[in-house]
Amino acid sequence: MRLLIVNHISVARESLKRNRMRTWLTTLGITLGVTCMTVILALSYGATKLVDDQVDALGGNIAVIRPGADKKIHDLRDAIIPLGGDSFSVSSLTERDFTAISELDGVEQAAPLMSVDGSVRSSNNKQIIDAPIVATTPALQTISDLKIKDGQFIDNVTNQNTAVIGHQLSIDLFGSDQSIGQLFKVRGQQFTVIGVLGPVNDSINYNNLNINNAVIVSLDSGKSFNQGIAQIRQINVKAKDASQLPALTKQIDQLLIDNHSGERDFSILTDKAISKPTSLLFKLVGIVAVIISSVSLLIGGIGIMNIMLANVAERTREIGIRKAVGASNYHITFQFLIEALVMSVSGGIFGFLLGYAVALLLGTFLPFNPGFTWWVPLASIGTSVFVGVLFGLYPALRAARKDPIEALRQYN
Amino acid sequence: MKKAESTSVISLRGLTKRYGVGDAEHTVLGNIDLEIKKGEFIAVMGPSGCGKTTLLNVLGLLDKPDEGEYLLDGKPVERITSAKRAEIRSRRIGFVFQSFNLVPRLNVIENVALPLAYTGTSHLKSIKRASAMLKQFHLNEREYYMPWQLSGGQTQRVAIARALVNDPSIILADEPTGNLDSKSSHIILEELSDIHRRGNTIIMVTHNPDMTTYADRVITMLDGKIDTDTKTAVVKNTRSTVDKKVTLGSRSKSSKRSKKERK
Repeated sequence: MRLLIVNHISVARESLKRNRMRTWLTTLGITLGVTCMTVILALSYGATKLVDDQVDALGGNIAVIRPGADKKIHDLRDAIIPLGGDSFSVSSLTERDFTAISELDGVEQAAPLMSVDGSVRSSNNKQIIDAPIVATTPALQTISDLKIKDGQFIDNVTNQNTAVIGHQLSIDLFGSDQSIGQLFKVRGQQFTVIGVLGPVNDSINYNNLNINNAVIVSLDSGKSFNQGIAQIRQINVKAKDASQLPALTKQIDQLLIDNHSGERDFSILTDKAISKPTSLLFKLVGIVAVIISSVSLLIGGIGIMNIMLANVAERTREIGIRKAVGASNYHITFQFLIEALVMSVSGGIFGFLLGYAVALLLGTFLPFNPGFTWWVPLASIGTSVFVGVLFGLYPALRAARKDPIEALRQYN
Repeated sequence: MKKAESTSVISLRGLTKRYGVGDAEHTVLGNIDLEIKKGEFIAVMGPSGCGKTTLLNVLGLLDKPDEGEYLLDGKPVERITSAKRAEIRSRRIGFVFQSFNLVPRLNVIENVALPLAYTGTSHLKSIKRASAMLKQFHLNEREYYMPWQLSGGQTQRVAIARALVNDPSIILADEPTGNLDSKSSHIILEELSDIHRRGNTIIMVTHNPDMTTYADRVITMLDGKIDTDTKTAVVKNTRSTVDKKVTLGSRSKSSKRSKKERK
């Protein structure tokens, strides 16, 4: 049996070599499909891994509470609609929730995140930069492990109108990363820089915040932009002990349900759930891309079937001869199936390599690098095997079903 | 091969084969009874369309009869699976065709080794055996030629080498000399009678009455039926004078037969 496979592979190689041009073109079809797939898989894995690693680095004792019940995508409409809509809705999380959570026994620290809409303006009005503005409490620094490069993080005793800014923002706004004491305005309110954050390489994170460009102000400052009401989009909770986290999560869940008159209009994420692509759009783009790449694989597969049918028709006589000298239907099926597989698998391998090259290239323009893991090649090459079998089986069966007498009668 | 000389290798009872359906139905083989003993060299003669080739295809398990019984080595083959039929073809039967039927993409040695691939012989082993076989046919210098680089006679000898490489007990030859000139034809027939002398059963379809002189039994067919069935004693005599253990390579010139002899 093994010998026969070796034999079939050499026969397949021989016959594919004879029609080099069309073999290459057919293989190219699969290559491109697999390339698309590999790029998508590698990049989406890279993005997920980025957030995963952050969560891992936090030590597994972090829970994240977000407003709105856990959303499930029922159809494509669900996937698109909440994207724009939700960001403008009034959050179900309140400052009262935050305070209640902070006072729980198992909680070491908790930090609310409040996003403020507005742009940052240098005091001489020359620079206007759209930067994410976040109001929070000093606890965020320890929970999210933010590194201060210069100055200090916001704390409970500092003046209201002080801010900590990201490394890149400091450069963009003041032309230097040494910007302690500099002034800038947000919505007409003046802030003094008291700290600059160190540069970080994770612009995608579970805080949904690009730290390098962020302005971090105190929660009170944030509330002052919103008529004194905190509009909390996320609460980060750090448990005293990782082993207590499940129990703590239940406790928080109960607490918030009580606070929210019996309704679960929030979701608590722990562990890997935190690292799920924070944006639904991200997921959607991924899905659409996978669909497109599977269409291209489908086209590649049709190409294989087309060429294999031509091969079978051309070699009818050869099939007759092989049957006369003792090949069974199974042998003939196998021979042509292997031929299709040689094309699709080599397409899969080339596609995987090319896909990685493209992903690495794209990675230089993206805030994250493509991830490498065992299931990316497995999925790419596995898919190409699947396509080869799916589209190679029919021509192979057709070859095997040929009547040897008819086949021998056919002249080349 | 273990069976006694007198045992029937092939026995047909009431074999019938039809083509077409309804009004177009045409009986190619009608109620054929035939016993073929081990070691016979049979020439099948007859006009075109009398069913010679169909008979050969049925004997070679390429075609199935519509009615009647076909016993191969005393066992009916009617109910065996197509995979099993293929196995019998690969181990017991060697085909030689009028149009040679070498695979054009494969070189000579690969063509000869082809049947071995389906018996699970390793590549190296099958190439070795094919090479040894070609040597017997004095074609060892043509091993890496492509089929189109050979003359008709050489091509047919390659085809015979291929038919023999699995050491089959039955050789079915369908007008093996039909595409050859008379000189090459006689060379091919010499090869076949050498094989015959080794104890193989040969059934050869031919148009050429000259060629029947090599056979020890001549069957003529007409309209799908066996017309005459003669044992040719003269050939038997010739055969008995030749050492049975003669190898394929050492063709004895003395065994050339007179063409004046009746078939």
